[in-house]
Amino acid sequence: MRFHIITAAFLWAAFVESRKIRGISSSYKRFYRERKSFLCIDGSKIIPFEQVNDDYCDCADGSDEPGTSACPRGRFYCTNLGFRPHYIPSSRVNDGICDCCDASDEYNSHARCQNTCWNLGQKERAYVEGQMKTLDEGLRLKQQLIEEGVLLWREKQAQLRELQRAAEDLQIKLEEHRKRKHEADRLKEQTLKALKAGDRGFRHQNSTVSHLFQLLDSNKDGSISLDEVKAKVVLVHDETRVLSEDEALTLLGGGHQMDLSKFQNTLWDVLTRGDGYKIKDAHSAPGGLMSEDPHLKAADRAAEWEAADLKKVEEAYETVNMEISDLQKKLEIDYGTDWEYLFLNGQCYKLKVYEYMYTLCPFNTVSQKSTAGTEVSLGLWGMWAGPAKNRYSQMVYENGEPCWQGGSRTTSVSKDQHAALASGRTQTWSTQSNFMCCVTSANVNPCDIWGRASFTRSLVLPAYSLTGTQIGSDKTIK
Amino acid sequence: MATFTERMGPVLLLWVAVCLSGSWAVDKGNFKTCDQSAFCKRQRAMKPGESPYRALLETMELTNTRLTLQLINDNNKVRLLLELYRLQGNITRVKINELKPLKPRYEVPDVLIREPPTEPLSLLSQDENGVVLSLGAESQRVIVSARPFRLDIVEGRDVLMSLNSRGLLGFEHLRMRKDTQADPEAENKEGTDPANPAETAKEEEEKVEDGMWEETFKTHTDSKPSGPSAVSLDFSLPGVEHVYGIPEHGDSLKLKTTDSGDPYRLYNLDVFQYELYNPMALYGSVPVMLSHNARRTMGIFWLNAAETWVDISSNTAGKTVFGKMLDYVQGSSETPQTDVRWISESGIIDVFLMLGPTPRDVFSQYASLTGTQAFPPLASLGYHQCRWNYNDQEDVRSVDAGFDEHDIPYDFIWLDIEHTDGKRYFTWDPHKFASPKEMLQGLQDKKRKMVAIVDPHIKVDTNYKIHNEIRSRGFYVKNKDGGDYEGWCWPGSAGYPDFTRPDMRAWWASQFAYDQYEGTMENLYTWNDMNEPSVFNGPEVTMHKDAMHESWEHRDVHNLYGLYVHRATAEGLIERSGGVERPFVLTRAFFAGSQRYGAVWTGDNAAEWDHLKISIPMCLSLGLVGISFCGADVGGFFKSPSTELLVRWYQTGAYQPFFRAHAHLDTPRREPWLFGPENTALIREVIRQRYTFLPYWYQLFYLAYQTGEPVMRPLWVEYPQDPATFALDDEFLLGRDLLVHPVTEEGARGVTAYLPGKHEVWFDIHTFQKHNGGQNLYIPVTMSSIPVFQRGGSIIPRKLRVRRSSTCMEHDPYTLYVALDNRRTAEGELYIDDGHTFNYEKKELMHRKFSFANGVLSSVDLEPNAQFTTKSWVERIIILGASKPSMVTLKTADGENQLEFDFDASMSVLTIRKPGMNAGADWTVTLQ
Repeated sequence: MRFHIITAAFLWAAFVESRKIRGISSSYKRFYRERKSFLCIDGSKIIPFEQVNDDYCDCADGSDEPGTSACPRGRFYCTNLGFRPHYIPSSRVNDGICDCCDASDEYNSHARCQNTCWNLGQKERAYVEGQMKTLDEGLRLKQQLIEEGVLLWREKQAQLRELQRAAEDLQIKLEEHRKRKHEADRLKEQTLKALKAGDRGFRHQNSTVSHLFQLLDSNKDGSISLDEVKAKVVLVHDETRVLSEDEALTLLGGGHQMDLSKFQNTLWDVLTRGDGYKIKDAHSAPGGLMSEDPHLKAADRAAEWEAADLKKVEEAYETVNMEISDLQKKLEIDYGTDWEYLFLNGQCYKLKVYEYMYTLCPFNTVSQKSTAGTEVSLGLWGMWAGPAKNRYSQMVYENGEPCWQGGSRTTSVSKDQHAALASGRTQTWSTQSNFMCCVTSANVNPCDIWGRASFTRSLVLPAYSLTGTQIGSDKTIK
Repeated sequence: MATFTERMGPVLLLWVAVCLSGSWAVDKGNFKTCDQSAFCKRQRAMKPGESPYRALLETMELTNTRLTLQLINDNNKVRLLLELYRLQGNITRVKINELKPLKPRYEVPDVLIREPPTEPLSLLSQDENGVVLSLGAESQRVIVSARPFRLDIVEGRDVLMSLNSRGLLGFEHLRMRKDTQADPEAENKEGTDPANPAETAKEEEEKVEDGMWEETFKTHTDSKPSGPSAVSLDFSLPGVEHVYGIPEHGDSLKLKTTDSGDPYRLYNLDVFQYELYNPMALYGSVPVMLSHNARRTMGIFWLNAAETWVDISSNTAGKTVFGKMLDYVQGSSETPQTDVRWISESGIIDVFLMLGPTPRDVFSQYASLTGTQAFPPLASLGYHQCRWNYNDQEDVRSVDAGFDEHDIPYDFIWLDIEHTDGKRYFTWDPHKFASPKEMLQGLQDKKRKMVAIVDPHIKVDTNYKIHNEIRSRGFYVKNKDGGDYEGWCWPGSAGYPDFTRPDMRAWWASQFAYDQYEGTMENLYTWNDMNEPSVFNGPEVTMHKDAMHESWEHRDVHNLYGLYVHRATAEGLIERSGGVERPFVLTRAFFAGSQRYGAVWTGDNAAEWDHLKISIPMCLSLGLVGISFCGADVGGFFKSPSTELLVRWYQTGAYQPFFRAHAHLDTPRREPWLFGPENTALIREVIRQRYTFLPYWYQLFYLAYQTGEPVMRPLWVEYPQDPATFALDDEFLLGRDLLVHPVTEEGARGVTAYLPGKHEVWFDIHTFQKHNGGQNLYIPVTMSSIPVFQRGGSIIPRKLRVRRSSTCMEHDPYTLYVALDNRRTAEGELYIDDGHTFNYEKKELMHRKFSFANGVLSSVDLEPNAQFTTKSWVERIIILGASKPSMVTLKTADGENQLEFDFDASMSVLTIRKPGMNAGADWTVTLQ
């Protein structure tokens, strides 16, 4: 594998490095060829070669003391055979703290440093190998998610088109139903008009008079008695009260009996006027009579039926439109250049931090719920807010519940690439919720904060490695 | 937050309303003026005139060590007992108490380090007008005049100081209460009822005034069970125009006259967002005033722990310089004089007159009474990184890593109250600080340390061990009705342990043991905040004066409370190491003697230029009264500093004794690397400068520990005859040898520093440029400038290999900066020990003296009996103001060898390369 080659490469590099000059890398070796004198690398001074690494700083640039702590701005090169070489400030040479994994910085101190480079190197190699795998897998996953995203996007688009078609159909239907309802209403109106006009016609009146007479004449003896009046006639304004003898008598024109002809000239008028008395259980004498009309009844039913139909269609139309606008809103959200974040929509992720449960529903809401049960909104989907180069590295949720001292809670959710890589096949987001609320104490510290919460924790979302950065390439291994 | 609001909802709403209406500044209405403090008003109403007190000479008793005699108040016939002592080291002690008080009056314990040793007083003459006593050889005498009573201390023909010369001795004797609360009408009757002439006569003598038996301030009523008990006394200082001290006030170094306003107040208070340039009380009190003129420095130490007010007036105040000149030319007018008057609410008069005559004498006199600065662990002189709050272990780890990443040294990272489990001190938040030892070990691995806060208010919570133990042992301060006193503080309802009790302090100290205070190890130190004590819902945000400390009222002990908290904590840290390790404890409240227990800071300042400026006089004032380990929050606690202010504050703080950045919870983060690379570099540079000077700081603290001399001192201390230095408080000296004039003006292009000493020369520590003393020097500045000068004639050892922490630099070599004076001589010292134990007391130390004269620099042992070895060596000697030698020779016990050197003719700087001898060796370096 390529790691073996890399390891071999720096084994070799370490071997050729001069043992004499402590603290320099092989690339600097040329400055330290053993001669009579040494020229400070910045060219400022020439000193005898014995003064290189003699624990006294002669060169302003610190180049004469790469292996000691003598120069304030010097640096010491840890070869770290088996791991990554690196520079440390000279001030960390022989300070009693192990900085180089090969322990080379503590050659004259009481610190007992172990050479841990090989272990570290192995871990690193394993890690990098893991990273490579993760990266491959991540890229594959990303591709998959992009494909899924594209499919989902298309599906949603198709769904949208379908809904729009349905909406168009419904609109046509709607027109039709509106027309039909209009027609039915018109018919009903006509019938009603005709009926009202016919009220003045005698034949019609006659048949209605006898009809009413028969209604009152319960025992069908051809005359209306006092009891029959009392049983069937009530006050328009108080249907429950039974008429008194006197009232019934007055209605019967003072007699105890009334035949049809007398009825037509007297009581009929009273009842059809509808302002004093009426037949029990009828709305009003003439209306009640008209509703009995079969033509009118048919027209009425037709109109009602058409109205109900129209309402149904209207509702359906509205629902479809709402769905359309919902879908459009969702589709308006920026899901990344390749729709690779689309899959997050509709998901919710939970995270427990101390006594709080945080819920992140990407592209939707962030909220916090305490164990005590109160739920606080920490923000609604706002936008992508990463830097220009990497816009999709951060989400912002805004307009959460307001704070004590004004301002509302906002949450930003950032992609944590390091954690993502470290946790293998996952992508990690850290949320930084800025929702401190100040509460203040009385006379002492009016504006000190009494309580505040904040969390920076990682939410692990199922995902993929984000970019194609060549982690684990030879460059980083050296 | 949610649970919090549930608990505190109603209170909160009120508080929020209160705070929203307030603007940014202290609410002065929360704190008393003299007029609102009944005893101050009563005493101040007394005007200068003939004193009603008369000395009864016939009662005089003179023993070898003291004189006593009785004083009588001719108005009410109450007798007082005067005691006069001559103490070793030119101190006179005057004590005045009631001859027969109804019950004992409080005498402040635990402040004096011992009963001060006396010297014999001898009677020189006596007649019916008074007595004259000798104060030793230097023709110093005390004259006690009988009618009216007054005391004069004279030397030759000069009066040094007079007591009661203005007749303002006041002593409210303890009395039975005449009026009764139960019958308020009786009070009215008594005053007007002519049927009872005897009572009326008595009333005339002892008028019952408002506030004698009960006093209400805002919503708080002080029940005053003992009634009036104030004491006051005036002191006249002829020939004195400058007085200093009586910290803590946010005011200039030179104290102002108080005729037109309130007196300076000494009453330990938690003042929210304090304002500057006024006499209001702050967190600590040291009732010590220094007077100074070109001929003499003296001190007055008023040993009283009750609420105290100090009035200052001067007959020259308000006169212009021209007016003074005119007086002088015309030979007319009186000599300048400053009159001072002390007023305390209770206790006795116990005053130490420290007669100098030099500033050093006064420091040593005061040190002989109250002790010297605790010798701090070396690491505590490094840089401290604090904030309210570092949120959790991860935060601590990342800040720690930030220092390494930016290559900035620091020694201590601090945790404020949020690290605890619900403000229960001695505990850790189980989530945020789940494994404190792991965190501490991580710091230890980098040779760094931590400070965690432990405040004295204890959450009332029966699930809290500390509370339960204190309650069951009866250690809480009691309220006036005998129950445990409860107040409101950070944890909500809290009790206040009675730190005046030795058994309580011993128990408290035991709580710092590693097996008691879980999660701690040796690199964890302590910070005592809120120990005024702060009681959010108490009168003036502190404890009710009628709360009880066993038999004494809080009134009597108030200003001592903070000292006791600090002391018990410091003792705890000493005990946990079996007496081996030096403690480091920071306190906000303090009193005379607090210097023995650790460091002090100036409390909750603000990110404003004026607060940066005031940090100088505030710490200078503390230094004058023994508290050398002083600092102000770098950057300012409240509000957010501009980058310029922050950088300037680092530059100032790096040259002040206690160097800690701190910030309020509500402010944006301000670790040194958050302001762009340029500013990171500026801050890095100044912190590194601090570390290079650590050997000098350490030596100064050793000196302060030994002698009581302040580390950071006003110029007049070293140039006592130069009046131009008397009021300077925008620059200061560190020891004798470094003069610092920080840039404290926004947008400054230059500063004018006064370089004292007509015959001195001063070397810019950065450019090595030489300047003559006795001049105002204009220094152009940029953002990187910190005007600091080394005195010609001094030798300062520095360590130029700045590392991650001071401990990492332990074995590093020294560079000696030899600054020659006009006579081409210089002297300096080097002190080394292990940096953290008390073994220096066993002489495990190294104290060297360097001298340069006649071209020879030598190092000799100042403590030949001491034993200590060091790996450190001398890597470089830089001689400022030198001429070019032809040869430089080092001579040690091992022989002689020639040294390489480099001479910069333009600046006259000779750099001797790698002499290489051990810092503990005897050696000479000869220039030929």
